[in-house]
Amino acid sequence: MLANLLPHLVNGITLGLLFALIALGFMLIVGVMETINLAHGSLFALGMYAALFVMVPRLGWFPAVQEAYMALPVGTRYALALFVAPLLVGCFGLLLEACLRRTYGLDPLYGLLLTFGAALVIEEAIRVVWGSNEQQLPLPAAISGAFLLGDLLYSTYRFYACGFAIAAIAGLWLFLEKTPYGAIIKAGAHDSEMVRALGINLGRLRSAVFALGVALAALAGVVMAPIWGIRPQVGVDAVVPAFLVIVLGGVGSLWGAVTAGLLVGLVVGMSGAFASEWSLMSMYILFIAVVTFRARGLFGRKSILDT
Amino acid sequence: MDKLKSDETPQVSCNTPRRRFLAASAVGAAGVGGFFGPWAHNRVWAQSAQAKPLVIGLTMDASGQYAASGGMERLGAMMAIREFNDKGGVLGRPIEAIHMDTETTPATGSRVAERMINRNDAAFLIGAVHSGVANAISQVAQKYGCIFLNTNSSSPTESGKDCHRVKFVWDGNGTNFAQATVRNAIRTGGKDWVLLTNDYVWGHNTSKATRALVEASGGRVIEELLIPQNTRDFSSYLLKLQQLKPQVVATAVGGDDIKALRQQVVQLGLQKRAAWINNQQDWPDVYGLGPESIFGVFGTTWYYRLDLPGVKEFVAAYQKQFPGMAIAVPGNVYYNGYMATRELLRCVQEAGTTNNIAVIKKLEGRKMSARDRMQHYDAWIDPVTHQVQQTIYLASYNDTPVEKNDIYKILTQSESKDVIDPAAAGSCKLESHEATPSYER
Repeated sequence: MLANLLPHLVNGITLGLLFALIALGFMLIVGVMETINLAHGSLFALGMYAALFVMVPRLGWFPAVQEAYMALPVGTRYALALFVAPLLVGCFGLLLEACLRRTYGLDPLYGLLLTFGAALVIEEAIRVVWGSNEQQLPLPAAISGAFLLGDLLYSTYRFYACGFAIAAIAGLWLFLEKTPYGAIIKAGAHDSEMVRALGINLGRLRSAVFALGVALAALAGVVMAPIWGIRPQVGVDAVVPAFLVIVLGGVGSLWGAVTAGLLVGLVVGMSGAFASEWSLMSMYILFIAVVTFRARGLFGRKSILDT
Repeated sequence: MDKLKSDETPQVSCNTPRRRFLAASAVGAAGVGGFFGPWAHNRVWAQSAQAKPLVIGLTMDASGQYAASGGMERLGAMMAIREFNDKGGVLGRPIEAIHMDTETTPATGSRVAERMINRNDAAFLIGAVHSGVANAISQVAQKYGCIFLNTNSSSPTESGKDCHRVKFVWDGNGTNFAQATVRNAIRTGGKDWVLLTNDYVWGHNTSKATRALVEASGGRVIEELLIPQNTRDFSSYLLKLQQLKPQVVATAVGGDDIKALRQQVVQLGLQKRAAWINNQQDWPDVYGLGPESIFGVFGTTWYYRLDLPGVKEFVAAYQKQFPGMAIAVPGNVYYNGYMATRELLRCVQEAGTTNNIAVIKKLEGRKMSARDRMQHYDAWIDPVTHQVQQTIYLASYNDTPVEKNDIYKILTQSESKDVIDPAAAGSCKLESHEATPSYER
């Protein structure tokens, strides 16, 4: 029985870490800026497409450059995509934040509507540029294929993605906890007026946090692309679990998001294995169960509605 | 204004107060028109001299699980409409297509159908990929008597228990495809099966048909795993599948779900561990996925490299009309959209009227030659179920492609009469012609 259960437990944990990775950027923006960024999913999708552009560019006007670039090993292009795609989307995030700035201090509904509108625009823009067909991100051979987990095959890439998620979570934690800039960000989340009084440019801080959150969404997109596939509407698939994980974990809590991600992953993974028709529903049932008894989530100091 | 028949059948009243208001507005505008110079006056006369356009409502997904297929069937319908318009329309009337996104959502399908019938004066409704959406649209269409062509949704229930007098089902259904695939797979793959089923009406009914055929052929279904729609992560199902060790895996999974599933199966190399059959493989769901993802055997109703008269010209017409498309050649979904629209317009032309009952009678039992439909065998519209009975092809990945789009290898073609759904006729109870509201636009 345990031997049968073990692969599903491992799978649930990897799934949970991937959910946490998807939610990281969302968590940062909600926690620090108190803005619910409904464009998170579309930016996640944009990250996928940016990675696709970096790995398989269509440089019709420069065939010689295209040929030389495509001669680079897949691994090199993949590493470039991991770095460049979040950077590109992060820069786009700065533009989006410039539009969002007008809503600060107003009813949160304005920010919500603006980011929702942005999500629609981004998704349609993706459709116009890349079409609505499924695309695939090429993978280096080293992280492709499968390995044996007990006597079952398991995806090598999924383990790599899981490791990457752990590294990203650890990196964000170190940045927030061990650097002066992280301290300013946390202080800004706690008491923005005091931060402003100390002479720190709050506008610039918010821009930086938003760009970082958006870049994290794009990074999650790059990592998830080989698992979920690249489609314009893939953002919807990302924003729902991200939102759930944030609310379950508690607004602004990094470890809350990680714990909630793991919890959601385990519930979805196990129900998929033993009561498959409940697998998607299970995350909502978990959500309802937790929020009913603890509206501010597992580790949150306040409800998301108080942002 | 609507031209509704005043016979014994119930009549449809379409937003009368609104129409009165519009009519009053028009009179008012005409009165005011004089102040805007003669050009406005001339434009009114020019419009009245023209025949009233025939409005066709395209109820196709542009978002959700079947967005890609919805887009392709829309193009197919548009090509047929354009062909007729190039020849002066139908019954001397230009054809105007309006499209609204049904979002792969039944509730949206109902809303769109209501709107198209009541506010846009659509004469006919065309388009559906998701069987839940098709069923929702057809309920609204039947209420008013508006003919609805279900172009691409293939749950056996569409021409079975959910059939309607106004609905015509153009794609092969799940049972047709199962008939073509199951015996072959038991013979070549083995007797122990697992079913992977999309958890909605098409998946359920297709797997039900597959299960019945597997058991009738001496096989056994070890387990059926229900997959909720919009599942993106199949890892737990694939682990479970390995624990079950089936010889054959039969999927009834569609749209974006099958794309994600295929990629994840390939990542694990599971396509080599069992024989895989996918009941029906829609072209937009597999195009561009890469050769390794197109594993197993699957059903289809048409392929762009069938060695039949008219196929090359059809492909050329698609490429001419839609240059630079991401999908460079038409597939089964586009084909169904085109064929359904073309046949409907032919029937309208032959009937000499857009009256629904006259057109329905033209469609019922209609025979369509193999040559005309670019298939191997003649097709016909079953008068009892309104299902188009047609050639069903079995295909697999083509490892010797003639060109880059040539990704299918056609293995067999089954004649229409050999793959008929035997249960459909018993479960389909069409409303009588008399009980169907008269409808004419």
